[in-house]
Amino acid sequence: MDDPHRDVAAPIFTASRDDACDDVQLLRRIGAGDEDAMAAFYREHGRVVLAQVLLVVGERVLAEEIVQDAMLAVWRGAGSFRGESSVRSWVIAIARRQTRDRLRGGRLRIVDDAFLAEQPGPGPGPEVLALDRAELAEVRGAIRELAAPHREVLGLAFGTGLSLPEVAGVLEIPLGTVKSRLTAARTSLGRILDEKGQDR
Amino acid sequence: MNAGPADTRSPHLDLGDLIAEVNGQAIDDRAREHLTRCEHCRAEVNRWDLVAGGVRGLAAAAPETAQPARLRPTRPGVPAGPRRRTVLAASAAAAVVLLGAAGYAASTALTRHASGPVLTSVGGCAALRQAQGTLEQVNGTSLVIKTASGQPVTVTTRASTFVSMSGPLLGDITDGASVMVRGHQSGGTIAAAIVTVGPPFSAVNPPGFVPVRGTVAGASTAGFTLVTSSGSRVRVTTSGDTLVVVPHASVGQLRKGTTIFALGSAGPDGTLAARGVAAVSQLPAGPRLNAPTRGCSPASIAAALVSGG
Repeated sequence: MDDPHRDVAAPIFTASRDDACDDVQLLRRIGAGDEDAMAAFYREHGRVVLAQVLLVVGERVLAEEIVQDAMLAVWRGAGSFRGESSVRSWVIAIARRQTRDRLRGGRLRIVDDAFLAEQPGPGPGPEVLALDRAELAEVRGAIRELAAPHREVLGLAFGTGLSLPEVAGVLEIPLGTVKSRLTAARTSLGRILDEKGQDR
Repeated sequence: MNAGPADTRSPHLDLGDLIAEVNGQAIDDRAREHLTRCEHCRAEVNRWDLVAGGVRGLAAAAPETAQPARLRPTRPGVPAGPRRRTVLAASAAAAVVLLGAAGYAASTALTRHASGPVLTSVGGCAALRQAQGTLEQVNGTSLVIKTASGQPVTVTTRASTFVSMSGPLLGDITDGASVMVRGHQSGGTIAAAIVTVGPPFSAVNPPGFVPVRGTVAGASTAGFTLVTSSGSRVRVTTSGDTLVVVPHASVGQLRKGTTIFALGSAGPDGTLAARGVAAVSQLPAGPRLNAPTRGCSPASIAAALVSGG
């Protein structure tokens, strides 16, 4: 039997920037100790945050713990939200810091991908061709094999509803670096798919 | 876009526009126009869309979460369960899901009997277009649907297109299938209101039911035995009122004659390049809900198609 406390009403993604005002009001109520507001906040953001953390750490139990820590930080620190970012990016940034603290080394190692230009090359390379041939299930599997920073940036760009500038804010890097990292992530993904294709 | 008058870097859309297009976010008119005539950029959108589909597939497979346990002791006196649950009639719960797609149609002020434009705009997301009709034909990854006014519309899909089915599809509950059952429990038996087949999809989540997940054994039209991960066996009864939802279906599973709701972008020659397709086998009678999408994102589209936005 499933956990009776499970949030059956939580959608996977509910990210909509139209909800920004509601989010801020929720945080105000959380700051005032309103547990119903905390439950609503969790319903709104918990699953997206968990999916993102899980994508990075790849381990269910650890990801659950990190999300719980992040939500606890929200509970304790809701009053400190200054509205300089969206609530969604704020809570994801909190979860990211919790993730960073939990992972050995204290900081997610970032690959040096700044040299990768975002401009398309003169023609499709093997990575692009591999992507063109790939099935969705293969892509899912290949994403799991990416380096954590690449999984992280892809998750933020496509799994959280954040805009690229918001992703840059969460990662604390310039927008241009977000783009180059995304490009590097896709190139790595294509390389993995290409290698798997050659193995078949 | 990169191709401004003093900008010689690239004639193509920059990554920000490509990602925005994939995420259903707004791009400016110049970028939109470029995209319609640039094969290279459309191919790039397709590639990023595939990557996005992979990410979202992983996210969709993420487990549902419980309320953070450590919050509870910090505030004694507050019930640990997050919400009071209202038990709904099975038929009403089923309607919530079924009406998701119908509600989407209502939000566009288009009814089944309307004879207006074949592709109509969608409230809440200017980039989206909708087509609705009866499935006439499946050609590989394309569908041909017939609208209420009798006009055929070709709906194209991609690997990343969200395809769902719902209706009294008891035949889709087969032995060995992974399912989530929602219903009324009595004496160790669950009378199923909703059965979700395949990977969990929490947008199918009307309030009032605690879901039970497991594997199907001994399936028949009258019900099946649900074997949970702990090995428990729970008897589940089904009936013609049981709504079966297959949130991650394939185009090949869609059946002729079902009602199709497709959302996507307008393609050439009046086609619809679908981002989401919902096949509904049996539309409920009575008034429809107005359940507009909460945004333009693929997730919002999927949620709207399956659960009502």
